Amino acid sequence: MIDALFKGQNYQVARQMMDATVLRQQALAANIANAETPGYKRVDLAPSFSDQLQAALQRGPGELQKLQAQLVEDTTAKSVRPDGNNVEVEKELMMLGRNSNEYNFLAQVVTHDIRSLRTAITGRNAG
Amino acid sequence: MDFIPGIEAASGGLQAQRTRLDVIAQNIANAQTTRGADGRAYTRQVVSFESELIKRMGDGAGGSPALRGVHVSRVTGDPQQGPRVHNPGHPDADADGYVQMPNVNMAMEMVDLISATRAYEANLAVVKSGREMATRTLDIGR
Repeated sequence: MIDALFKGQNYQVARQMMDATVLRQQALAANIANAETPGYKRVDLAPSFSDQLQAALQRGPGELQKLQAQLVEDTTAKSVRPDGNNVEVEKELMMLGRNSNEYNFLAQVVTHDIRSLRTAITGRNAG
Repeated sequence: MDFIPGIEAASGGLQAQRTRLDVIAQNIANAQTTRGADGRAYTRQVVSFESELIKRMGDGAGGSPALRGVHVSRVTGDPQQGPRVHNPGHPDADADGYVQMPNVNMAMEMVDLISATRAYEANLAVVKSGREMATRTLDIGR
């Protein structure tokens, strides 16, 4: 039963995505801190991460554990400033809020899983 | 890995922006200073930001992206010449009766002040958001 929870796909995916959101939070924090550093280029989670997650999902739970989120320099963001910096604080803050919400959601998913296990152990709903 | 995600970069940003605020305050305070320690009019000071490595990602090769914080690399004087005002009664007036004023432009300093304050607030928002995430982490399973 415990294996069914901790090795379950939902749990594993939530774990991976939580790691990814934490990494993204760090990237966004670095971008905002460097909003006025000349020549700084913004970094973000690699866009290929969702594809990698999908592929790992199809290959099985073992693959899922090996997956590691990576950061890349964002080359698509246009710079409108003469110093080459391509950070837009408004956008970063928006993404930050969204990212933090995503993390809250994932934490709830994991909590839900753990609560179900507790219900199975104790036989009653934990308040 | 920090307990609060992004705290390292955000605290660096807060510190850098605070230094910038300090320097702006100094510029505004000295907007009329015609004689400093060196006997000359005050020179407007400008802070320069520089990114610093927090963590290298991936294989660590030269081109791999990295998490970067920020710090103030140096505070330099603005080389621009300030205005010369005709005021023969001034103790710092030269032989022709002109006084060399500091090159501080009040409007520019006020705009800088706002931009530094906003940047500080943005970094603070990152800290708040990260703290909330840390709290959620502690609540997992409850």
